[in-house]
Amino acid sequence: MARFIAQRLLAALVTIWIATIAVTLLIHLVPGDPVRIMYGSFQTTPEQLEEIRQRLGLDQPIWKQYLYYLGRLAQGDLGRSIVGDQPVADILLTRFPATLALTLTSLVIAVVVGMSLGFLAAYKRGTWVDAGAMVLAVIGVSMPHFWLGLLLLFLFALQLGWLPVAGGDWKSLILPALTLGLANAAVLARMTRSAMIDIFDQDFVRTARAKGLPRAVVLYRHALRSGLVPIVSMLGLQFAYLMGGAIVVENVFAWNGVGRLAIQAVFARDYPLIQGFILFFATVVALASVIVDVAYAFLDPRIRYS
Amino acid sequence: MRTTRKRILGPALVAATLASGHGVAAQELVWARYGDADSLDPHRATSTLSMQVWDQIYDTLLAFDMEGTPGPNMATSWEVSEDGLEYTFALADGILCHDGTPFDANDVKFTIDRAFGDNPSLTRTSWGPITGVEVLDPLSVKVTMSSKFGAFLPFLADSFSSMVCDTNTADTFGSSTAIGTGPFSLVEWVKGDQIVLAKNPEFTNLGDPVDNPGAPYIDTLIIRTVPEPQTRLAALRTGEVHIAEPPFDDVPAIQQSGDLDIIVAENTGQDVFWEFTVSRPPFDDIRARQAVAYGTDPQMAIDIIYSGLTNREWCPVARGVFGNDQEFCEQYGYPYDPDKAMELLAEMGYGPDNPLETTMFVWTGGNRHKLAEIFQAQLAQVGINAAIEIMDIGTMNARVKEQNESPDDPSPGTFDMMTWSWYDPDILYQLWHSPGAYSGFQNAELDAMLEETRTTIEPGARLEKVQAVIKYLMENAVHVGLYSPGWEWVFAVRPEVEGFKIGPFLHPIFTDVKIEG
Repeated sequence: MARFIAQRLLAALVTIWIATIAVTLLIHLVPGDPVRIMYGSFQTTPEQLEEIRQRLGLDQPIWKQYLYYLGRLAQGDLGRSIVGDQPVADILLTRFPATLALTLTSLVIAVVVGMSLGFLAAYKRGTWVDAGAMVLAVIGVSMPHFWLGLLLLFLFALQLGWLPVAGGDWKSLILPALTLGLANAAVLARMTRSAMIDIFDQDFVRTARAKGLPRAVVLYRHALRSGLVPIVSMLGLQFAYLMGGAIVVENVFAWNGVGRLAIQAVFARDYPLIQGFILFFATVVALASVIVDVAYAFLDPRIRYS
Repeated sequence: MRTTRKRILGPALVAATLASGHGVAAQELVWARYGDADSLDPHRATSTLSMQVWDQIYDTLLAFDMEGTPGPNMATSWEVSEDGLEYTFALADGILCHDGTPFDANDVKFTIDRAFGDNPSLTRTSWGPITGVEVLDPLSVKVTMSSKFGAFLPFLADSFSSMVCDTNTADTFGSSTAIGTGPFSLVEWVKGDQIVLAKNPEFTNLGDPVDNPGAPYIDTLIIRTVPEPQTRLAALRTGEVHIAEPPFDDVPAIQQSGDLDIIVAENTGQDVFWEFTVSRPPFDDIRARQAVAYGTDPQMAIDIIYSGLTNREWCPVARGVFGNDQEFCEQYGYPYDPDKAMELLAEMGYGPDNPLETTMFVWTGGNRHKLAEIFQAQLAQVGINAAIEIMDIGTMNARVKEQNESPDDPSPGTFDMMTWSWYDPDILYQLWHSPGAYSGFQNAELDAMLEETRTTIEPGARLEKVQAVIKYLMENAVHVGLYSPGWEWVFAVRPEVEGFKIGPFLHPIFTDVKIEG
């Protein structure tokens, strides 16, 4: 098991390492002089711009810039933001709990809603229940996050007045989590349905039924449990989707997480903050997939040894 | 025992609830904006979003009236020496900083020294060529300049010159602490989310253009960041937010339904204008610049896109700024005249089979892409093929400068819908005096004229100098005014909010605000 974990961690590190290269190159992919673009809204003299260029190391060749960047990274230094001149690592860590709360709540919603819907659709395959559930799933998959968000906002906050539009307390978590969760529930519903249909056709389910076990026991203990295995393995990927979706949803609901921070950073052309965000995001997603892989391997011994 | 306590507590709670329903409730006003302040340190940011918060926390030595003219405020009077190099200010007595320490000449010295210190203010050059600040006595302070600076007094009314109390020595200044003398004091700043301000009970209004002579009526002002316009509108409708910028396309519907008040800021100093890459063809030729000016009809375009919410602006300095005079500017302006535009283009050798090719830069937001399309169609009619490139304002600033600095670029020169907001015609100096903000149009003649707008102090004489520059910029089609205001100037306000005023240069004032009911 230890060797398996070590392998997964190593793979995650490679992912993060690739992200560090991408992040260093990023600043040079944008057309125009990055220093000038970053400070486009400030009154700056050519001397000040040169000073900034030196301070950010942008006057050095790219490979030097990269080593410089790695060196600082090793000390946990992600640089300072252009806007407000704050340590990037601090800004990201302050905002991350809000994003984590949002994505985890959404994950729960996605799992509960998506799996129930998919299971029901598979169980009632070919009926109107199946058709209805899959139509909902297609709508959910195709609807952009911000649009679903605005619709939910209109219904639950404006028309019904049940929930606040925006704010910082737990009540204002419900709408963004629902938006993000429902959109991802659609994906999970489709996956669960096809996984369960496969399972329902398997011999062991038929055998269980044939030996006279109650239907509930067959469905729960035999069918659902086996069906869960491939779905659980997808949760890591789901988490990555949710993190991506959070960028848009946080903006719609003024939820103060790292996703919204990323949008603000892009609009302000705050390169150190954008770079920090990308690296942070890559790290979180890589670590999440390690956790899922390990949990999965723990649940299913076949994985560990293959 | 437990039950008894509950019984005792019960009526008390009911009484407390009843009392709060009788008009003694703390009044809390929520103002939502699309973005957050960058810093609460007036020397560390330049955005309007930041300045609007500084206005609440700090006060200034002078203050603008609604027309944008500076007058006494924390400085009750001032004297300028014969040579125009020394300003002596008399400060009002009894002003207190939020931490209870008295505000005096030492705080003025602290602020100015700080602006010129090791980590100088981002707007240091706007203070003028200050060489020294001297505390004469607690209530008088003398500022010395190395040369005359006509924009000094207006600067002292602008939020960039916010007076910072000398007790702001902590490292946290600007991010989690900020001590000023303004109408509100800082309670908490949750970055990216909200800034919570509490009423400063000691506040005395010495020069702001509002009726309330003292402390604000509301107890708490919450400045919240809500980036999505539709979300702001929804929050306005549910009452979570009292004041916010509405989505543009919804303004007519809001006005019709009347469920929210629409308030439009005036004298914002925001000027939207044409300017050109003059370092290479075609706009190195004045006729090409004039053809664009004659070939576009800003009035028609803003009528269609903004339906009466903004105004045609003829001047290079917008309404509210010293030197702005529509009649004066219009005589050097370019009224819509497609024939004249075609004539000028024909002189240059362009014609129906040989249109002038160029690219128009426009910055994102505020439905400006639609405006640009109207201009594009108008220009097509006179024989100018203008491609449109839309980018954010910071990128546009950098790209415009790059364009001017690339005289050998083989592609045709560009032109752009640019914008600036400033409280003084000194903006013209910053834009067009060499080397210039964009390395654009510049020459020795214009430089000399611009220098005179700085070294002339007496308002009457300075006006002449400023108008000479305006005339020059317009006749040479360097800086052609289009409209004003240009951005984030429309506010939707809930009906129970009374007394909300927007001072000049887009600075909302909350000391008159009351929440009814």
